[in-house]
Parts: sequence; structure tokens; C-alpha cells
Amino acid sequence: MSSAISPRSGRSDSGPDRRRVVAGAAAGLLVAALPPHAAAEASPELAQLIARITEGVAPERARISLEIPALVENGNSVDTRIAVESPMTEADHVRWIHLIAEKNPFPDMARFHLGPRAGRAEVATTLRLAQSQTVTAIAALSDGRFVMADANIVVTLSACIDGG
Amino acid sequence: MTFNARITLPAQASPGEIIEVKVLTRHPMDRGGQSDGKGGTVPRKILNRLTATYAGEPIFRLDMHTGVSANPFVSFTTRAVATGDIVFEWREDGGATYTRIARLIVT
Repeated sequence: MSSAISPRSGRSDSGPDRRRVVAGAAAGLLVAALPPHAAAEASPELAQLIARITEGVAPERARISLEIPALVENGNSVDTRIAVESPMTEADHVRWIHLIAEKNPFPDMARFHLGPRAGRAEVATTLRLAQSQTVTAIAALSDGRFVMADANIVVTLSACIDGG
Repeated sequence: MTFNARITLPAQASPGEIIEVKVLTRHPMDRGGQSDGKGGTVPRKILNRLTATYAGEPIFRLDMHTGVSANPFVSFTTRAVATGDIVFEWREDGGATYTRIARLIVT
């Protein structure tokens, strides 16, 4: 074999070789493509936020649905709809629904106060999300229990870059 | 005018019917903290509360923080009881309030 024309054109022995880099990148893609863990195990920060909202009571994962896109291009305005299965009577109704974005600079986003007059526990709003994260909805029921739902959201353009 | 609101109700409702109330508000919802160019920061200026009163009784309240988008949209439901005004009142940081009234016809 002839020697390389210049030192820079020869294959260097040090550093990762090309084949290994390609294989590594493929493995990285595979990891990224795996479905994100449905936040069964909430992060300690989120668990703390939830505990503060519910005053220590562990919320159940039932009777509440959080409708929010899984991928949003623009975190400045994200359509969100929350519905709780509840008869909304004087004896059994949803007192409030609280929305948390764990990685927003200010994690508490909004709280909807409802009552028996609502007829149905269904609200919608537009949110501002700083980055890809888990959005959590917690509802307080009139009997003192709490229910929650969460969703992982990928935000491609953060709400904290420009003035919008 | 930095504030404006569009309230959508059904044209009419029957007694006991559950109706959806949609409110689209025009407001910058300035979260504050940006530089004001003079070494300080801009204070937060958002609508922090929306209350709805129907026939003199509060039916809905929304506490908003910086996590609510600019020009926020809000929808909620209420049970139609009688023809009457639904009064919407927003409270802004700094103490300003805005009021809008929508009439619900119950037949």
C-alpha cells in the first residue's frame, strides 16, 4: 500500500472510526424512537408539585382525560381540553381542575373552579409551554379525593425564545 | 386597546340544557422579566382571573398564571336555567378590571 498523500488524508488511528460513529448514531436514534415512559413514575420535582396541590393526598389515575397534542411546533399556544367524568351534582362534583407544567419557569398554569352549576366537568384553554415536558391535570372532587392525568408533550419551538 | 373579548353562546337554549361557553380574549398576557433597556425588567402583566356570574350566581372562575398563552381561549359549561345575563369579569395585574356581558336566551 502506498502511503497517504498528506498526513490529513490518511486514516488516523486515534479517534472514533467512521463505522463506529454510524453505529453509535443509529443506536441513539433507536433510543430516541422508543416510546417515552408514560409518566407512571413521576419525577421527584413533579411529585412534590402534585403533593403541594393535593396537600399530600395521592391522586388516582381515573375518570379524567387530558386532551393535548403529543407534538406541538409552537409552545406559545397549545390547545388543551380536560374532561372529568362526574355527575356534577351537589353531592358529587368537581371542585377544581389544576394544570401543571413541571418544566415551565412557573409550573402552575391555571386553575378552573367549577361547581354543580357547570353541568359537566369539561374545560378548555390555550397554554404556554417552555419546553418538552409532562403536562399534568389534577382535579379535586367534592368528596375530598383527587384524580389526575398526564401527557408527554414534545415542543419544537419553545415559548420562551421570543416575546410572543 | 389591549383588551378585547369575544364570547360565544348558543343562540338559545332549553331549560336544563348544558351549554358550552367559549371566550376568546385579546390580551398580550405579558409574563414579565424581559429587559426594559434601562437595566430593569418589565413587570408581569397578565389577566390573572376570570369570573363568570350567571343570574347573580358565580358559575365559573379561572385563576391564570404565566402558563396561559397570550390571547387566551377558555371554554366551560353551564346548565341553562333562565334567560339572563352572564357577566364576565377579568382582573388584570395592577388592579384593572374588564367586564363583558352576554345574554343567554332560555326558551
